[in-house]
Order: sequence, then C-alpha cells, then structure tokens
Amino acid sequence: MKTIIIILSLFTITSVNSQAAYEKGMGKAFELWGNQKNDEAANLFERIGKAEKDNWLPYYYAAQIHIVTTFGIKDAEEIESRLTKAQNYLNEAKTFSKDNAEILIMEAMLNTAYVVYDGAKYGMTHSGKVEELYQKAKIIEPENPRAILYHAEWQMGAAKFWGKDPKVFCPEIEKAILYFEKEPSNVPFYPDWGKNQITRIQENCK
Amino acid sequence: MKSLLTTILLLSAAFLNAQNTISGIVTEPSGVPIPGANIYLDGTYDGASSSDDGTFSFTTTETGEQTLVVSFLSFETFSLSMVVTEMKDLKIKLKEDVNSLGSVILNAGTFSAGDNSKASVLTPLDIVTTAGAAGDYIGAFQTLPGTSTVAEDGRLFVRGGDANEANVYIDGLRVFQPFAATANNIPTRGRFSPFLFKGTNFSTGGYSAEYGDALSSVLLLNTIDEPEQEKTDLSFISVGLGVGNTQKWKKNSLSINAFYLNLKPYQEIISQRVDWIKPFESLSGEAVYRHQFDNGLFKLYGGLNYTDFELTQEDINVPEGINFGLKNRNLYINASYKGALGNDWTLATGASFANDHNDIKIEETNVGNDDNAAHLKIKLRKRFSNRFKLSFGAEQFLGNFKEGVSDISFGNFQSSFKNNSTAAFSEANIFFNKKLAMQVGIRATHNALLDFTKVSPRASLAYKIAEKSQLSLAYGDFYQTPQQDILKYNSSLDPEKSSHYILNYLYQNNGRTLRAEAYYKSYDRLAKFDTEMPEFGSNYNSTGDGYAAGLDLYWRDNKSIKNFEYWTSYSYLDTKRDYRNYPERATPNFATKHNLSVVGKYWAQDWKSLISATYNFASGRPYTDPNTNNFLGEKTRTFNSLNMSWAYLISQQKILFVSVSNVLGFDNVFNYQYANTPNVNGNFARRAIRPTADRFFIVGFFWTISDNKTDNQLDNL
Repeated sequence: MKTIIIILSLFTITSVNSQAAYEKGMGKAFELWGNQKNDEAANLFERIGKAEKDNWLPYYYAAQIHIVTTFGIKDAEEIESRLTKAQNYLNEAKTFSKDNAEILIMEAMLNTAYVVYDGAKYGMTHSGKVEELYQKAKIIEPENPRAILYHAEWQMGAAKFWGKDPKVFCPEIEKAILYFEKEPSNVPFYPDWGKNQITRIQENCK
Repeated sequence: MKSLLTTILLLSAAFLNAQNTISGIVTEPSGVPIPGANIYLDGTYDGASSSDDGTFSFTTTETGEQTLVVSFLSFETFSLSMVVTEMKDLKIKLKEDVNSLGSVILNAGTFSAGDNSKASVLTPLDIVTTAGAAGDYIGAFQTLPGTSTVAEDGRLFVRGGDANEANVYIDGLRVFQPFAATANNIPTRGRFSPFLFKGTNFSTGGYSAEYGDALSSVLLLNTIDEPEQEKTDLSFISVGLGVGNTQKWKKNSLSINAFYLNLKPYQEIISQRVDWIKPFESLSGEAVYRHQFDNGLFKLYGGLNYTDFELTQEDINVPEGINFGLKNRNLYINASYKGALGNDWTLATGASFANDHNDIKIEETNVGNDDNAAHLKIKLRKRFSNRFKLSFGAEQFLGNFKEGVSDISFGNFQSSFKNNSTAAFSEANIFFNKKLAMQVGIRATHNALLDFTKVSPRASLAYKIAEKSQLSLAYGDFYQTPQQDILKYNSSLDPEKSSHYILNYLYQNNGRTLRAEAYYKSYDRLAKFDTEMPEFGSNYNSTGDGYAAGLDLYWRDNKSIKNFEYWTSYSYLDTKRDYRNYPERATPNFATKHNLSVVGKYWAQDWKSLISATYNFASGRPYTDPNTNNFLGEKTRTFNSLNMSWAYLISQQKILFVSVSNVLGFDNVFNYQYANTPNVNGNFARRAIRPTADRFFIVGFFWTISDNKTDNQLDNL
C-alpha cells in the first residue's frame, strides 16, 4: 500500500513538474519579451516548443517576436532571415493545430511585414494573401477580435492609398472592442493581444 | 509514516534535480563570437542564449547522452550528441546558411524576374508595365542587355544569335511554337498571357545542362502554383476583348481565359503601310488546372489559338505586290508534376505536346503543313545538404513534320521528316561557403534523324568579392539541330554548335543593381545552302561558323527618387558569321553593334497613375547594296523609339490604360530590298523595309471582379 502511494505521488510530482515547467518557461519568456530581450525570448519560446512537441503556442509567439522585430529594422538580410524563420515557426505551429484562426492572423501579419519591407517586390504577390488569410480566419472564428481589428487596419491602409475614406471600416473596430470584452481565456497563454492597439487604429476614424 | 514519505519525496526530488552545467562559446567559422544564438538540449526546457561575447552556460538535470542543439538566424542549425557531463567548454562554430540573402549567387548569363529570387532584376509588375511591351511578356525582356532590337520581328535575338537560337520552356517543358504566326516584317507576340506566370528566368548564355537544343538562349517561364483568389477579369481593348475566370475549391483551382483580337477597326482608323485584305484576327483560349497533393503539385495547361489574315506584301520585283494569306491553328498541352519523395529527394516530371497547323497561300501556291511535337521529361533532385545538391534526368523529344505544296505550274510536292532525340543530363550544385559556389553539369544528346550523339559540359562558378558584389564565370557547349526549313530537305547535316565563355560582375545594394557581363561565343558547324532560300535541289553542308563577343551593362535604381524606378541597359556586340547562303563571314542584318534601352516608371500617387516611358536606340543594321560589291557592307540609319504608357487606376479594380509606341514618330528603317535586275541607268532600285505603321496606339479598360476587391489587372497590362 505504502509503496503504491509513494509511486503514485512520484508520478504526480513528475507530471506536475512538467506542467509547472511549461508555465514557468512561458512566464519567463513573456518576462524577457516584456524587458525588450526579444531574441532571448524568441529563443526560449523555440526551446519550449521543441520540448513540448505538440503545443502550437510557443512557436506562435516565437514567430510573433521575429515579425514584430522586422518593423523596427532596415537591414534587408536580417529582415528576410527573420521572416523566413517566422514562417518556419508558423509551419511548425500549423502541424499541431490545423485551421487555427490565431495562426492565420499571425501569417497575415507576416505577409504584411513583407509588403511593408519591400512593396515593389512583394506588394503584388503578398497583398492578396493577407486579404485571403484574414478572410479565412474570420470564417473559422467570426468573433475573433484580432482578425476583425487588424483586417480593418489593413483595409484602412488600402483605402487611404486609393484616396478613399478609411472611416467606413470604423464600425469594425467597435465590433472588435466588443469581442475583446467577450473573449474567453480558458487556455493559459492563449493569445489575447491587440487591445492596446485600438486607440492607435482609431486615429483613422477622427 | 508521514515523515518517511516526505523524506522519500524530498530525496527523489533531489535525485531528480542533480545538476550538470553545460558551457561553451558559439562563433562564426572565422572565430567571431555570435551573440544571441539559441543553445539547448533537444526535447528539454534546458538551454540559454549566448551572451555578447558568444559564451553560454546553463544547468540541466538531464543525464547520459543528450543532443545539444545550437540555432541562429542565417546560420545552419548545429547539433551534437554526447554525454551531458562532457558538455563543458564547448567550442561551437556555426556554418553560414548559404540560402540566406547575403550569399553568393550563381547568376552568370541569367536574368531572373519576379520569382523573389535573390538575383531578380525585374519585378512581376515590370514585365507587364514596361512601355512599348504592349502586354507582351517578351517585350520587357527586349529591354535587357544582350538582346538586339529587331522591331519588325518581335522575337528574341540574343548576343548575335538569330531568333531560332532561343528556346522557351514552361514549367521545365519545351514550348514548340511560343510565338503567334505572322507574316514577313510584321512583329509577332508571345502566345501566352503574362498573368499565368509567377517567375521567369531569361538566360543569355551559359545555362544549365537541363536545357539543350538552343545555341544562344533559353527563356524559362514558371506558372503560378496557387491563384490567390477567385475572380473574373474583363478586358476591353481597342484591338480586342478578353475574359478570364478563376475558381478555387478544396485542393484544386482552375483558371480559364479567352481573348479575341481583331485589328480591322484599328486599321481602318490608323493608316498602315501594309495593304491588308483580311486584317489580323485571332481567337485564343487557355485553361490551367492545378491540384495540390500532400507532397506535390500537379498542373495541366491547355491552350488553343486560331489566327487568320491575308495581305498584299510589297515587293520591289513585283509592282502589284505578292498576295499572302495565312490560317494557323495551334494546340499546346503541358502537364507537369513536382513533388517531394521524402529523404530530401524531389521529383519533377511532365510532358508537353503541340500540334501546329498552317494553311498558307502565296499567290497561286498553296502550302499546308502539320507539325506534331512532344517532350517527355523526368528529373530527380537530391538535397544532400544545403551545400550540396545533385540533380539528374532524362528527356525525349518527338517531332513529326509534314508539308504539302501545290502549285499550278509545279504540281504537287510533299516533304516530311521525323525529328526524334533523347537526352540525359546531370548537374551538381556545390556551395563551398557563403562566398564561393559552383555548378557543374553534363548533357548527352542523341538525335535519331541526323544520327549524332554529342556530349556537352557546362560549368559556372561564383565568388563574392565584397559584401555587395560578386564575380562569376560560366562556360558551356551547346548543340542545336538545324531549323525546320532545312531539315525538310536534308537530314545528313551535323548539329550546329556554340561555346560560351562568360565573365559577370554583379553589385547589389538596397534597390540598386549594377550588372556587367563580358562574353565570347564561338559558332561552329552552322548549316549552309547555295540558293536564295532552302529548296529541294539546294546543296547543303555544315561548314558555316562565326563568333560573337561583347559587353552587356545593366543598371537599375529603385531608391534614389521616391516613387520612381528606372533601369538602363547597354549592349556592345561584335559578331560575324558565315551561315545559310552567306558567301563569306559577315555581320547579319539582325545584329546591331550598339543597343541602348532606358526604362522609367513613375507612380503618381495623387493621380493614381503609373506613367512609364521606354527609349530604345540601336545603331544601324547591316544590309547588302548590290550596287557595290560588299556583302552586308552598308548600314541603315540608327533606330530610335520612345514609347509611353499611362495606367490610371479609376478604383482598385478598374484600370484605364493608354499606350503609344514611337511617340516622336522616328522614321525607322530595318533593311532594304533591292531589285533583282538593274534599271536603265545600271542601278539596282531599292525599297525600304519599315514598320507597318510609325506608331501603335492601345486604349484599354480592365475590370476585375472578386470578393476581396484588392486585386486588379495591373499585371495584365
């Protein structure tokens, strides 16, 4: 009896340890990211992804860090390597979670990054893709606030380029705000970013 | 009891947490430390990032043999398996990823366009928005160095070679009749609509062993893998109407388009130098079906084209002109599959088939011909590592040509031949490091008609001399069977041969590109005959030869002026050849010594307009004046043309397009035709061969209907 209890408790400890390690690791990675240690954070997310084996979230965040980083740099070689790496992470993420709206939204961000970096080279091929990815994401999760908010921002950008009124997309932002409030958060570390960008994007509505 | 349990638990926890420290340094091959590399034990949470001096250190509770992984941007991922306790003071040198943007590229002889490759010189938009190209994808390539301006022909004349020396491939498979049927001195166009393609490689020499039967050049077109969205395209142009539609479902997609061209209304408004009896009319339809498998992609292309026209060709020897009529029907089918076989093997295979039928009427002579041709190909590629790739393959060409001529005075005459050939090729791609790369290949061809077997080596080498610049070299031997007009009368000739020697310098810096290429090309065993045109009774031999040497310069700048891009190409060409019915070595009529193209495009944001201008200059073209004794000894005046186009985007999906060629109305002369007999003064009279009209106008309206409203037909213009 005793032995059984001991063995059982040992098992429990190991499994608790692993869940705890995941949470600790993810927590640590977000902390590094928060402290502007982007590359270290991306590295840690990559390590967690490799160790977890079937969890899309660490790869998703590793990709996000590389994508966001490219918006602040100019060196073509670095931008291309980061975006290639990000695409690889997203491909990994997709193998663990098919038809995932969040991954599609991140892929739309990735393609946007290509257009921002070199519009002449990538504008034509990647713009259509961005649009398609947002539409796909909205079909899977019609109430996903990030899909609605960032799709609206993308469409506003296009409208401005064509000399049209970007304000027609403002009701979409109101919708996004509503869905941000309703967003459930059952899975730890599930994406919930984007809320703090509302004010910036709403600038277009003034 | 409780305390015992606790003790055990604590002990086991302590046991589980027995720690080992792993440490070392990560550097580049040269010893420069790499900060920020990711170092970890595979499958565990244990790891660290390297610090500014490249060193790292972390602890782990893992024991025994483990795999240490080190990864970093633009370097190859490194892994090492050893016992954890021995992982101390490791010295890890990461190898540069030769696929990254800063690596050397094997580009001698080649221009890439639109496939996002590192050596890309034209963007997808360029191919179609270049003024003067008038929607013909070949037109944009004619603004690149190495090509001669032969405006009355429309095909590609590369580095002193005639147009037959350039072959076109779609998805790796041969296109047998890439150009629309036309008459003498009326420029042709490519048969395929430009929006089918996602990327293009135009090689002006030294190309891969995968391609043969071309002495000068190959143009490789790759079709789109997956269309972005479902849409309908409508085009209303001053010379025709077009409609296209794309559907996507599950893992399939289908694009179809049709175009009807009729020059009659246009020619009634704008006067022509040619006397059209039945103006140019053509109907073409194309369809592409694609299916995505788990590990591969299947594409099926089918195109059918029907052309009809009749005209009176001016001729100095026939005052009333020569009546010429042509009806052409062309069918082309291309099926290809490309996929991964696992273990880093890739398979590319496919087949293409063409049936070309002509009914030609020249005065009282009727010519009917049928050309059936097929190409079957299989290619395997093994990626041993990022640094070493090997490919090999085999292909079979089948050709069956039949022609019947009926003439009131000569009666009926039949000719036919079967031109079958088999080839095998292999090529190795080796990256020694980020700075030095090499490609070596070999190709063996056996032709059943002429009964020859030839082996041709190919090699290229590239070396990065500085961060933004590189030098490359290429060499190759190329064989080609003589052309159809000769083969139908004689099948005992040798294959024609050329050898290319190329030295290339490339400088790329953030939107600016300079490319300089010097080359020497020798020709040998060119087919010759002793009559004005190849005929049944002519004497044929393979004793022709020649050379071409020159310098090609290309400069492009996208960055210096906002919203403005321009490129300029200059080619210097020195060439002489003795072929066909030439009495001696001479510079052919199609070869011009100096060629210059300047292309500029300005995006006017306020006007929502893309304004584009192209200026072409070519020095005089050689011609023979029978009043002198010099064969091809005279030169025409220089060629000048300024083309303009304006695309106005009414809305995201509606485009208005206006294009005018030769805005300034330069009076260009391509060649002269002399009378066969001298006039009363003992002089041979002549007639200038000039464009059918000095200017060509196009007005078009393009409308795209799709769900997502961002797509338009800019890529169609």
